[in-house]
Amino acid sequence: MRDDLKVGVFLCECGGNISDIVDLDKVREELDVEFIGQFENLCSLNGRKIIRDAIFDHDLDRVVVAACSPISHEKTFQDYVKPLNPYLMDMANIREQCSWVHSDSERATRKAITLINASIEKVKQSDAVDPIYCQTPDEVAIIGGGIAGMNAALSLAKQGTKVTLIEQSPSIGGHMAKIGKVFSPVKIAEECGMCLLNPILNELVWNENIEVLTNTKVIEAERRAGTYNLILEKSPRYIDTEKCIACGKCAEACEVEVPNDWNDNLSMRKAIYRPFGQSYPEAYVIDMDNCSKCSNCVKACSMKAIRLRGKSERIPLQVGSIIVATGHKLFDMEKRPEYGYARYDDVITQSELGRITGVNGPTKGKLLKSNGEVPKRVVMIQCVGSRDEKPDGHKYCSKICCTVALKNANIIKHKYPDTDVLICYTDVRTPGMFEKYYKHTQENEVRFLRGRPGEVVKKGDNYIVRTEDTLKGEFVEIEADMVVLSTAMEPSEGTEEIAEILNIGTTEDGFIKESHPKIKPVATDVQGIFVCGTAHEPKDITDSIMQATAAAAKVNEYNYGGVEIEPFIAEIDNDRCNLCGECIERCKYKSMSIQNDEIYIDPMSCTGCGKCLVGCKQRAITVNGNIDEKIMATIKGALSKKRDGERMILVFLDNIGYTAADNIGVNRLSYPESIHIIKVISVNRVRPRHIKYALENGADGVFIGEFPGDLMYDEVERKIQRAKNRLQELGENPERITFSKVYIPYFSGLARKFNEFDAKIAELDDET
Amino acid sequence: MKYVPDKDILLFRSCLVSVEYPGVEASTKFVFDKLGVDYAISEKQTCCTGLGHYSDVFNQIDTSAIGARNFRIARDIGRPNLVMMCATCYAINKKSVKLLNRKDELRNHINELFDENGLSHLKYEKDDLKPSENIFHVVDILYAKRDEIGKHIKYDLSDYTIATHHGCHYCKVHYEDTIGGVRDPNVMDELIKECGCTTIGWYDHKRATCGTGFRQRYSNPDLSFTATADKMNAIADEDVDILVHLCPNCHIQFDRYQYLISEREGRSFRAIHLNIAQFIALAMGGDLDKVIGAKAHTVPIDSVVKDLKEVKK
Repeated sequence: MRDDLKVGVFLCECGGNISDIVDLDKVREELDVEFIGQFENLCSLNGRKIIRDAIFDHDLDRVVVAACSPISHEKTFQDYVKPLNPYLMDMANIREQCSWVHSDSERATRKAITLINASIEKVKQSDAVDPIYCQTPDEVAIIGGGIAGMNAALSLAKQGTKVTLIEQSPSIGGHMAKIGKVFSPVKIAEECGMCLLNPILNELVWNENIEVLTNTKVIEAERRAGTYNLILEKSPRYIDTEKCIACGKCAEACEVEVPNDWNDNLSMRKAIYRPFGQSYPEAYVIDMDNCSKCSNCVKACSMKAIRLRGKSERIPLQVGSIIVATGHKLFDMEKRPEYGYARYDDVITQSELGRITGVNGPTKGKLLKSNGEVPKRVVMIQCVGSRDEKPDGHKYCSKICCTVALKNANIIKHKYPDTDVLICYTDVRTPGMFEKYYKHTQENEVRFLRGRPGEVVKKGDNYIVRTEDTLKGEFVEIEADMVVLSTAMEPSEGTEEIAEILNIGTTEDGFIKESHPKIKPVATDVQGIFVCGTAHEPKDITDSIMQATAAAAKVNEYNYGGVEIEPFIAEIDNDRCNLCGECIERCKYKSMSIQNDEIYIDPMSCTGCGKCLVGCKQRAITVNGNIDEKIMATIKGALSKKRDGERMILVFLDNIGYTAADNIGVNRLSYPESIHIIKVISVNRVRPRHIKYALENGADGVFIGEFPGDLMYDEVERKIQRAKNRLQELGENPERITFSKVYIPYFSGLARKFNEFDAKIAELDDET
Repeated sequence: MKYVPDKDILLFRSCLVSVEYPGVEASTKFVFDKLGVDYAISEKQTCCTGLGHYSDVFNQIDTSAIGARNFRIARDIGRPNLVMMCATCYAINKKSVKLLNRKDELRNHINELFDENGLSHLKYEKDDLKPSENIFHVVDILYAKRDEIGKHIKYDLSDYTIATHHGCHYCKVHYEDTIGGVRDPNVMDELIKECGCTTIGWYDHKRATCGTGFRQRYSNPDLSFTATADKMNAIADEDVDILVHLCPNCHIQFDRYQYLISEREGRSFRAIHLNIAQFIALAMGGDLDKVIGAKAHTVPIDSVVKDLKEVKK
């Protein structure tokens, strides 16, 4: 009966993204369905009309949309197939998993046909089900207390949302607190950064909806039922912030001096210290790695605020959504030994120059060399680590360094008009209003030379900067007594760590990846997690604040709108259920409980993995959506298009693995055409009979990927091992089945595994 | 660290080593023997074409075809690991393997040429060799065995001021396989440390070219020798006694032309030039004539290295 269903297939050209590689004419010839339509951009509003008209005109029962990934546009097309039930539509991913990963048109076309046919067979097994809406907790965790995190926190708090702002250092404020002056493109003037930051800081401190946790890191995260359960680790401050009045007597008494990291190690501080004048919490902190435990500070403290004994504390935190604002760090100058940063005292970074020219810096704002004299000629080198294709370099432009150099050059020129400033640039990138500032800088007699210096050496008392003047085509040696390097912005260690802990996607450069660079610039791959500031990519303060407030708006959208959940979850037949509790025991997601003498299944935490089905002696549980049959039909649909000599590998991935696989396409890496990815609700739903059928009916290999953070991981791994054992008993090579870990950030690793498995299978095929 | 073999090695002979500084080959063999490296040479092997290639005499097809022939010879004697004494041979052969594996058209074309000329036995199949797993420089092998160098050291050379000159074609062509840093190359500094000596480390122009530039030395001598002079001056500023090399091209440029540049610069230069294998062989007690091949050097080795003093054990 299901075979009689009328299926309509809609092919999307995706403005050439698909049709340039996949021959859609050929695809149309090969498919046997009631209706086939093709459109340039099916996701546009015109697409809705085309799909709806076809459903009416041809009386379609089921729809397959062959286009991009369901992760991009499943919601769109579920909406476009109205009046059909949204779950009677299936998407064949012929973009991220076909046209973007394959270059051979003929083979990509054949794979597209296979993928579409698998979808056709699958959708015939689909039943109408209704989505479930759920509400998540309103509380928000913001990770990172720099300018982005602070603004996101304030925006949410002012809209009535409870926020926990988590900062790993002893004070909030981030890089902006350090940079001295910021520059305004409208006023063409430099302004005091701290004076702009302070009001924000004050407002934040006084807002009752915000709790600030400093010295604190997220160390674990788990998502259950739409709630993130975070475990935070708060390192001891050794000072009671309630009692400390920041009088500074303790620091006077302290005998240990260490380089002051807040001043980029250009000055010294004590082992008990306050990070900077306006730091918050308004209290001192002990750097226990350097403390000699002499207790002088304890004696000096009249408030009795010092606790030399302290242990780190673990704090659980439950939130509904998270904003990642973990920021950036600067390029490691050890990777550019030719500039002599480590060898020469007066070769410094722009960040250090910012400290030197800052009134709260090591020289109280005076531009001085290490010998205490004012430099006569400062040479700035742009693009250090940025726009650099050599080893350890970053191919991207760090975006802010041109304006930072202009700003610092102007600051020098204002105070020391006799000091010559020369900027060696690759291109000066000052879009929009910043161009006026560039002109202003030129009028200020800052000089510019186009060329990327090769090296900086010391001859006598002076430095020699060697470069080619690429406009004149001449080799030049520039004398200087101070060299300033404009270092690249790269993801902070915190950014890398949090991506791993939260399992959110990153770009090839390690920044947090937005779920779509154009239309979803603050969402991440994971529902309920948003990103802002330089954790996302290099940007300036203005852009960071804009993105922070956008992220806050997105959190509120999420909080008010609720979350739509796929309805493929377990359901209890209460007439059959005898409340034995076996399912509660078995469920790894703890989604089952007894409420009012009935089994209650929390729709937010049930993943539809089907583990409970096995244990229910009463056969009282079903999982909605005909999943077993759909998986089998997908396999059959894929294998029925297999040609002689073609290698066919079926890959089963759940939402996490599938997102990683999409990222391979988004980053335009490649893998063999033999790889056919089947998206399943839970990898646990792939049963031995599915694998057995696949291998007996044409599949050359089966690849199963699972995220190790999934609670079913161990179970699935054991199951696959059993399937391999069984295969061996049947005299087949167990290596035709493989099980692999998948992570969203490590898409390149997944691509490599696909390539390796394909090569392995090719070897096995050659042997037989 | 990357995988580095110590057996099944074809020690790839270099034209410049054989003609100009045969002591480099003798020293390499001397040190390899001490370290228990399993190698052989083959009289069938030919030049890599390097000098001709970079002077536009041999195009890439000819170069890759000659590479394919040499790779076949290595495989036929069961020594698929090619180890080069010359940085140019190293870069040229690595590139040929990469091209032969990646470019189906080039490989097929070369295999057809072999067929047409009755040389079908030389055919190269995709992935016969792997660029990172089969193509090495002598320094790679020495570096992998560096822990064993110390116990064979006979003479203490630590009183000399030593600097290193890392060849461009080892450091700057196949970045992914370079051991010991690309921007601040240190592989030889590390090996010298194993001989109980310290180098001066970084110096001005440490990363710069020797100036040879293949045909540049002849067609643009002014440019070529300006680069050499920059480096010579920097080394003289540091009062260097021994400049250690890993490429015979650089070795020639400095050793053969030191007097010429001295005249040009009006400054006398005194550093002697040793290949890293010669340096280690010298420290291990290799004979100055029979192993180090001192007589082939223009700047006399004994102008600097006098009275070798034995290491106190």
